[in-house]
Amino acid sequence: MIVANGMVYDSSQQEMILSTLETRINETRMKAQLDPEIVISAFDTLSRSIGNDDFPEFSERIHTLHADDAIEHALRMFRRDCLEYKIKAELGSRFFMPKLTGPPLGFPRVQIDPRPLGTLLHIAAGNMDILPAYSVAEGLLTGNINILKLPSVDNGITVALFELLLTIEPRLRDYVYIFDTPSDDIAAIRRMAAVADGIAVWGGEEAVSAVRRFAPTGCRLIEWGHRLGFAYISGYENKEQELTELAEHIMLTKQLLCSSCQVIYLDTSNMDEVADFCKTFLPYLERAAEKYPVEDVGAVAEMTLRRYSDMLECTLNPTKNMDGQVFQGKHCSLTASFDSELELSYMYGNCIVKRLPEEQMMNCLRRSKGYLQTAGLITTASRRERLTELLIRCGVNRVMRAGSMSDAFLGEAHDGEYALRRYTRIVNVAL
Amino acid sequence: MKFRKKLFRTKDPFDTHSTDRIFLEAVRENCAYQMEHCQKYRTILEKLQFSPDMLMQYQDLDKLPFLPTVLFKKHRLFSCPEWKMPIKATSSGTQGRKSRIGLDFGSLLCGLRMVIKIARWRGLLSLRPTHYIILGYKPHKGNDMAVTKTAFGSTFFTPALSRSYALQYENGEYKPDLEMIMDKIQKFAEGSVPVRFMGFPSYTYFLLKKMEERGLRVSLPQHSKIMLGGGWKQFYAEKVDKQTLYTLIKKTLDVDEENIIEFFGAAEHPILYCDCPNHHFHVPAYSRIIIRNVHTLAPVSNGTAGLVNLITPMVKATPILSVMTDDLGVLHDGETCGCGLTSPYLEIIGRVGLRDIKTCAAGAEELLSKVEDEI
Repeated sequence: MIVANGMVYDSSQQEMILSTLETRINETRMKAQLDPEIVISAFDTLSRSIGNDDFPEFSERIHTLHADDAIEHALRMFRRDCLEYKIKAELGSRFFMPKLTGPPLGFPRVQIDPRPLGTLLHIAAGNMDILPAYSVAEGLLTGNINILKLPSVDNGITVALFELLLTIEPRLRDYVYIFDTPSDDIAAIRRMAAVADGIAVWGGEEAVSAVRRFAPTGCRLIEWGHRLGFAYISGYENKEQELTELAEHIMLTKQLLCSSCQVIYLDTSNMDEVADFCKTFLPYLERAAEKYPVEDVGAVAEMTLRRYSDMLECTLNPTKNMDGQVFQGKHCSLTASFDSELELSYMYGNCIVKRLPEEQMMNCLRRSKGYLQTAGLITTASRRERLTELLIRCGVNRVMRAGSMSDAFLGEAHDGEYALRRYTRIVNVAL
Repeated sequence: MKFRKKLFRTKDPFDTHSTDRIFLEAVRENCAYQMEHCQKYRTILEKLQFSPDMLMQYQDLDKLPFLPTVLFKKHRLFSCPEWKMPIKATSSGTQGRKSRIGLDFGSLLCGLRMVIKIARWRGLLSLRPTHYIILGYKPHKGNDMAVTKTAFGSTFFTPALSRSYALQYENGEYKPDLEMIMDKIQKFAEGSVPVRFMGFPSYTYFLLKKMEERGLRVSLPQHSKIMLGGGWKQFYAEKVDKQTLYTLIKKTLDVDEENIIEFFGAAEHPILYCDCPNHHFHVPAYSRIIIRNVHTLAPVSNGTAGLVNLITPMVKATPILSVMTDDLGVLHDGETCGCGLTSPYLEIIGRVGLRDIKTCAAGAEELLSKVEDEI
């Protein structure tokens, strides 16, 4: 499905729409600049209408896709007060109002005029149902025209949501283009990139480096790459509760999010402590696995098979020491690993436990600098401040409690940046 | 390999009950041979602390270490010098990587016995000359794919009057020529010589769909058969409901369901699985299947879904005696089929995979490419 100028087209119409894309966009940009108020009001109405069940057909559709939770969360984020708060947090108040500089030493004054970047291409990832829509919403809030390439795993929510939004607010029709182009149709994506002033790419290294290769010169790249989350344990405030929360977080997110916990680091250099921790923590993880079972059998099977294959691979290739002691639980496992590298686990309740004494933290985490994002810190009240500071200096952008590693909060920066700022430019006009 | 010989001489190709003992002996014999002749296989077995003597009774079969098919894609695992292998087969290489499997002369002989027995049971052997339409690759000396060999092999069930291939090798690559195939079908339909189709279900479906769109309907001569097969993956990747395909075959070619025969097999498990008249894939005497729990890899009982572990002592040249596919399947009790065979039958329900995975923690493809770099 393709959405262009408020109409829904079949995927086969891609060529026709792409061939006129630049002309359509240029016409829109010649006319006027999108007022953020129109966007806020449209999303607010959308959010309230769905909440009030004004669109039973849509609600039914969401329900059949098992996406109620994602939608409910998005609905809250799309409310007027949330959007206004977001704009204020990220851009400050009255961002789009022109201001005058007042330079010292008699330098001339100029006008500062923040503007939308222009046209944004969003190459979305599929890790959260609502993420593609949210990315476009950010582009709209900053007044941009948005071209969205859907992730291959998209289940139709995004198109359904925008169909509603564009019905509610027809003035947004010329600002949203959605394509379900497959990721290997590079030629088509290249044509979308050609008309863009900025490309927001969500995804793994492959996606990001592919975009780097074809992005036109001068096009701003906004990379929201994959990140690896971890927990750091150095003492407890309430052991029972904190370990339960960590275990439930692992099973609830299935370790699939950037902010999910892949590795649990213990503040020790003693391998016996790692093994002891695994024995202690495994029952917590088992209880959580029972509470939040993994339902995707194919994915679990893939990971089990991969773990087994990796084990054989290590046997045949002893230079690569991936040996670790596996503590197998029911529908989950812990691996006590000898090294301290931050790495991707087998996910779905298969977590890695490693040693990382405080004094080694900088050396170790700097080696993963491109992947740092969230740390879930479990520690004593007296050590919390110092360890938080240390984690931040190592490059971590979110220091959370273990149970809330993936929580989103209003006014949150994303990977150390405010998205809305990246989607705007600052214009200077001589007086 | 005396036990292997014995096993493949079994009269009833679906007797998985009274052959248990001999099957176990043949596996043990094969395992000992592989261990002695394939360094990498020995390393793995030693690591897993397994030795062939541990196969004491039939129930011990599930202790035999299994090698995932991906291992054959990354490593050359051979147990005899390559000159001793008259045939080297590769898998069709989904995702661009192919398994390299060597077949020794003895295993080819076993394979021949197996094919003849199973083909006879399914009524495929006949002296009546036949035109063959192969919806697959035309053999070429650079093409080692097991499917090509199987498709070619299947044209020997009857004397072949002609063989027409949908995929022609031209200037270094394969190109489909469906127009030529459709012309042939129409021509053959006017004659009285039976026609046999052999090919991927997906290609067959595609061709017949095209015929349907053009309003082409023929009535193939009596004794014509549609054989479907070639790689397990194509089977469900296409997602065409079997019944839809059968209906389309009846509509466009006028061939009844009883004359539609499906096969499957894999380069890593070169056992001919042929469907029964109820279109179920019963386990032949030369093979055993263990379905394994997706979390723990422990064996599960019939009726429960899991990973498909295939075992056969057929091949000496490559240690493929126990392989783990990336298929998800269920083994059903044979009696529930109703065709008369009592050996259990396999239903493939899907494939392991992250297709629907929603992860943003470094993607699966990266993990894979990292692994590939180490080859």
